[in-house]
Amino acid sequence: MTNQFVWVSWNRHKKIYDAVLAAACALYLLCFVVGSFVFFDDRPDVMVMLIHATGTLAIILLHVILCIGPLNRLSHRFAPLLYNRRHLGVTMFLVALTHAGLVLLYYGGFGVVGPIHAVLFEGRSLTRLDAFPYELLGFAGLLVLFVMAATSHDFWLDTLSPRAWKGIHMAVYPAYGLLVAHVALGSLFDADGLIGRVLLAVGVAVVVTLHLTAGVRELICDASCWRPMPEEGNEKSGTGEWIEAGTVDDIPERGGRVVCLDGRERIAVFCYDGKVSAISNVCAHQNGPLGEGRIIDGCVTCPWHGYQYLPHNGQSPPPYHEKVPTYRVRVVNRTILLDPRPLPPGTPVEPAFFEAGPDDESLFEESGPLSDDSGPPPVAPHPPTSLSEGDE
Amino acid sequence: MLVVMERIIWGIGVYLAVGVVFAAAFVAAGVGRVSPAARGSGWGFRLLIIPGTAIFWPLLAARWARPVIEPEESPPPVEPADEWVDPEKETAA
Repeated sequence: MTNQFVWVSWNRHKKIYDAVLAAACALYLLCFVVGSFVFFDDRPDVMVMLIHATGTLAIILLHVILCIGPLNRLSHRFAPLLYNRRHLGVTMFLVALTHAGLVLLYYGGFGVVGPIHAVLFEGRSLTRLDAFPYELLGFAGLLVLFVMAATSHDFWLDTLSPRAWKGIHMAVYPAYGLLVAHVALGSLFDADGLIGRVLLAVGVAVVVTLHLTAGVRELICDASCWRPMPEEGNEKSGTGEWIEAGTVDDIPERGGRVVCLDGRERIAVFCYDGKVSAISNVCAHQNGPLGEGRIIDGCVTCPWHGYQYLPHNGQSPPPYHEKVPTYRVRVVNRTILLDPRPLPPGTPVEPAFFEAGPDDESLFEESGPLSDDSGPPPVAPHPPTSLSEGDE
Repeated sequence: MLVVMERIIWGIGVYLAVGVVFAAAFVAAGVGRVSPAARGSGWGFRLLIIPGTAIFWPLLAARWARPVIEPEESPPPVEPADEWVDPEKETAA
């Protein structure tokens, strides 16, 4: 949450995460170096060994990064990995950059032509497989990773807008394709390349399978909580068409439920302290699923990075500025009714109240915009019934 | 084709070199104008955004040249509503 930018918002979890990550990388490099001396008869060239060590480490880290997202969709036990994924991404880029730097130095340094020309273009041809400049694929992938690493700070999220930022960071998939092609083609020129190609194929299969599994599960989940979007002009009550969003008993106390509308719009409905509120399911930070979060300290807390929003107005608590759209809700006999039309981000909406007992038939509570000065002005009332009927 | 690719790479290099020069001035003087949350921030943060500034320098230069936009006021602490007025009843009245 942005108030004043610092270079890294350290906390205990991030320190442990980074320490484990650094130790794992160091251990991998050490094992690779020791293994190269132990298992290969020919004493390997130290530079070539380091080039292979950093290259394989970078591609392994990239696979881990790509697996974290779908794993987290399948089980929230993986949420701690997601929490600090940006540090993992920057680490992967730095390892890949080291790999590229060593390649340029070893194969292109100290020559009569520039290292980039020597490595990427000298004696290369696009029409011959044995002379194909597979390094160009790696270079292009590295450029994409550079843009992603360079814009990983929340300053860029704020400056470029969350939508543009997310778009930039979705480029990890084209980069992955380029880097897989780089490694696969590069291993053709390696005497021991078969092992590398098999491991790469396993890695690609794991990434693809996890993404497909998570995607299918998401579709099934959406279908189970899907609600048809009311048609425009079909307003019978003067307050819009309301849709059912389950009962208050379906939602754990201080927990949420996701309702999926036509057009894949998702709404997060929360129950807390005998009240029901609804906000957009999409976190303003990185599109995290707010409906899968919980209410902590009175705020809806995103399960991905802990961004918080007050449930009745979709605003981050002061001094933060993030806002998400809100929705009007009613509770009728413990059934939650939802007006699916989003209100402007940060619009205060009175929560709907419900009693603890299930037998209170007199309950009919409705939420509506509050007469609150904070954030955007409350929405104008919907057209009265008579007007709607007159129009028809 | 490879000749074109090599020229593109050199073009990217020149673009980034210009961006690094711009970034030095931007992190020293311009970042606070573009982002209110960056005002008074430390040098660790400013150094960290140099690579990104070198990439997006035309965008940031355009924003730096715009008039200063004061930060949006923080919303006041939210208190529970004492009373909610039904907008439909209000309209009918």
